[in-house]
Amino acid sequence: MSQSTVAVSELVKVFYDEARGEVRAVDGISFECQPGEIFGLLGANGAGKTTTLRMLATILQPTAGTASIMGHEVCAEPEEVRRSLGFYSASTALYPRLSARETLEFFARINGYPENRLAARVASVIERFGIGEYVQARVEKLSQGMKQKVSIARTVMHDPPVLIFDEPTVGLDVLNAIDMQKVIGEFREEGKTIVFSTHIMSEAEKLCDRIAIVHRGRIHATGTLASLREATGCHYLEDIFVHYVRQAEAA
Amino acid sequence: MNARWPVVRTLFTYELRQTLRDRRTLFMSIVLPLLVMPIMLFGSRKVEQVRERKLEETTFSVAVTGSQAGPARAVLEGMRARLARQGSKPDHLRFELVTKDDPLKALNAGEVNLVIEAVSAAEARQRAEREEREARSKRSDRREEGADRAEADPVEDGAPVLVLVSREDQVRSQRAAGRMIEALRETRRLSRGDLLAGHGFPVAMDKVAVISETSLASAGQVAGLTLGRLLTLLLLLFILSGGSVVATDTLAGEKERGTLETLLTTAVARGEIVAAKFLLILSVAIAITVIQAVNLLLYVGFKIIPTSEGFSAAVTPPIAALVLLLFLPVAALCSGVLLLVSGRAKTYKEAQMLFFPVFLLGMVPAVAPFLPGLRLRSAIVAVPVANIAVAVKEVLTGIFDWPMLAVAFLVTAGAAAWALLLAARTLSTERLITASDADATQHFGGPTLLGRQVLTWFAVIWALVLVTSTHGAEGADIRLQVLLNLVLIFGGATALIIRHYRLDPREALALRAPHPAAWVATVLGAPAALLSGVGLFLAANHVVPVPTKLLESFGESLMPDTIPFWQMVIFLCVMPGVFEEMTFRGVLLHGLSRRFRPVAAALAVGAVFGLFHFSLFRLVPTGYLGVVLAAVTMLTGSIFPAMLWHAINNLLGLGAAKLNVSLADLPWTYYATSALVLALCFYILWRTRRPYPGLRTGTGRRPGQEGR
Repeated sequence: MSQSTVAVSELVKVFYDEARGEVRAVDGISFECQPGEIFGLLGANGAGKTTTLRMLATILQPTAGTASIMGHEVCAEPEEVRRSLGFYSASTALYPRLSARETLEFFARINGYPENRLAARVASVIERFGIGEYVQARVEKLSQGMKQKVSIARTVMHDPPVLIFDEPTVGLDVLNAIDMQKVIGEFREEGKTIVFSTHIMSEAEKLCDRIAIVHRGRIHATGTLASLREATGCHYLEDIFVHYVRQAEAA
Repeated sequence: MNARWPVVRTLFTYELRQTLRDRRTLFMSIVLPLLVMPIMLFGSRKVEQVRERKLEETTFSVAVTGSQAGPARAVLEGMRARLARQGSKPDHLRFELVTKDDPLKALNAGEVNLVIEAVSAAEARQRAEREEREARSKRSDRREEGADRAEADPVEDGAPVLVLVSREDQVRSQRAAGRMIEALRETRRLSRGDLLAGHGFPVAMDKVAVISETSLASAGQVAGLTLGRLLTLLLLLFILSGGSVVATDTLAGEKERGTLETLLTTAVARGEIVAAKFLLILSVAIAITVIQAVNLLLYVGFKIIPTSEGFSAAVTPPIAALVLLLFLPVAALCSGVLLLVSGRAKTYKEAQMLFFPVFLLGMVPAVAPFLPGLRLRSAIVAVPVANIAVAVKEVLTGIFDWPMLAVAFLVTAGAAAWALLLAARTLSTERLITASDADATQHFGGPTLLGRQVLTWFAVIWALVLVTSTHGAEGADIRLQVLLNLVLIFGGATALIIRHYRLDPREALALRAPHPAAWVATVLGAPAALLSGVGLFLAANHVVPVPTKLLESFGESLMPDTIPFWQMVIFLCVMPGVFEEMTFRGVLLHGLSRRFRPVAAALAVGAVFGLFHFSLFRLVPTGYLGVVLAAVTMLTGSIFPAMLWHAINNLLGLGAAKLNVSLADLPWTYYATSALVLALCFYILWRTRRPYPGLRTGTGRRPGQEGR
């Protein structure tokens, strides 16, 4: 598929753990994503979702296989890859002693956003996410919900075509989680490619155009919710997930 | 690092802005040192003044003993009366004569401050001859008036000879001896004057010849020497203390807060992140240096700190500029090392723990200017920081060895660049950047986790030993020090490490029988290694000048003459052989051998072992011994040969000192033969080698070690 903005092929990550020896956290994962699509990695904790996304974001280096974002290979052009994506996860925090405005300006600048268009971009992002009221306040003074909005805003400050959301609703209350899902949906409407990981079935069911069932570092099924239902004969995503996990355990 | 400077500048600007907004960092790195310095200066001056006043007011108790005790007491009482008549200094008169059954025991117990042994001239001569034959001690615990060889007064029959016995390690005893010598000399001078005046000599004694002293060194050079010795030490103190607060926050703190991961997902390269953070720490370091320099000059300007008259002559503007230039690579190296330490730590707490030994270790090279006779044009020029410290001392005393100054600058700047590269590598070490991930090894314990953490343990033990050595009880018996260091600290730490990591003691300490031939190799190898080590450095001396003190250190051992030789053998040979081996070739080697390949592990063990001897000159010989002993342990698969080897080595050093034999003055054939014997011994050890558990022999790179 020539239109793929994200292409992952046989990606492997082996950690060397001094106590346990080699651990294959990711064991040959492959998938592709298109613009305007939310691709979900669904798996239990420790399945290899975060490791896969970290390799896509070039935080970790793959042991084998290839991955590319907007045609840039993660090993060969890591800076181009990072310039093309926005990475959001529960563990990526903001600088507490910068104000919300400074945070947005900082992330736009270091991601190479043109200086002459910076002010306009900052103004439009502030308006879009409704953070104008507290834009001068330091991040350390903001509430959890406010921080979340600033955090999403900094992720898209440089207007990347690909967005990675690693368990974005972990630790959020219901209202903030719903807000987050709404924003992710809006990004899809804007034509961005979204790679999304979660262990929450309802979230995957609600948001994802295609879902990959990940277990023990491997993808055991990929498809739309309808195709997965058809393949397994199960209606609920929870049952579909259990079906594939049991099949993998038995193999 | 192909850094894009606009990006680095952006990162640096925002980093600086955040640092300036952090009140805690500002207070700890800038305000606190500003307050601490005057408090320290005033405090230490006040304490010194009080101490001096108390000593001046103290009446010292003096016990008189010996065959001439009676006449000596009369002499001392007469002296007191004579001095009182003359209106001499009042503290000369502040001593009381006491009687003790065993005066020397009373002196050791601190019951008396000084013992005067009064003997006849014949006894004094016999004593002098005996001591001439026997004197081996480097420390002089005795000061003699009358029969002192150094003073070389002729001993006249009939006059009592007073031998002053004091303890130089006790301030009051030392002061009592000094005061008594001064009083006796003063009395002798007065008596001579009386005698001459009685015989009609027309001029008073102190008018016979007027003595005037002059020094070729200018006042500026004298002041420069004092300042030059201290300057690097002070600078390091400020940079390391202030810079560490910023360094901890900027990398380890970012990992803990999760902001580093955010940064790593942006288009910024890792080298750019390191460059910006380095510049931040360097800026803070330079700011601290400048603020402290201004602070110091203000105190001097307002005469709050007394300075010698040559101070302004020593620090002219061009010299100040040169000194600042020389300090740039030191500040850069400190910043690089601080960043490296912060990068190695996964949490704020871990970074703080690592900084403590780094702080102490960092001070070691800065004491180089205190070593007498050490010039920049020597091997010291190759030691980062120490070379700048010596260079600054030379510059401030008017010596400008330009080629060596350039070499010193480049060596320290090179070390700074290396530290920076290592720091950049920590951002590519996945284990270190994903701080939030649980590390399975942490839960399993065992030798693999020990391998990762053993150097941190030893850094803490090193700091502990340093503190106990420098703050030990005044005049503590060497046996007590050995027991404290070897049994309590080394033995205790070894036991604690074994327990903490749930290690098998037999494995961790390599407690297993070696091949019988290993014993033969050990008995032959220990003296051969000692001599070939000296020979090696004598040979190196022809290429790079090696300080004589370094060569002497091979055979050096602490040998107070008050302890019987058999006890010295136990405390300085047998016990180090057992306890130091269990610690260094036991747990340290056990941990490092999991992490490094054998040669690197042996070198690392040697380096750590050398550093534990707290002497710049003993670092090389003890480091050499450490490498040899690690090799012996890995080849034999057992710690026992290394224990014996170590004990023999120390015994030879002790014996050489006892017999006053200098190991550095032997014919070259001795060194050549010993090198051959050592090679033969290692051949035997290699042929009869037994496996050392867990030794890394592979050459492949472990996965998960690299990123970008």
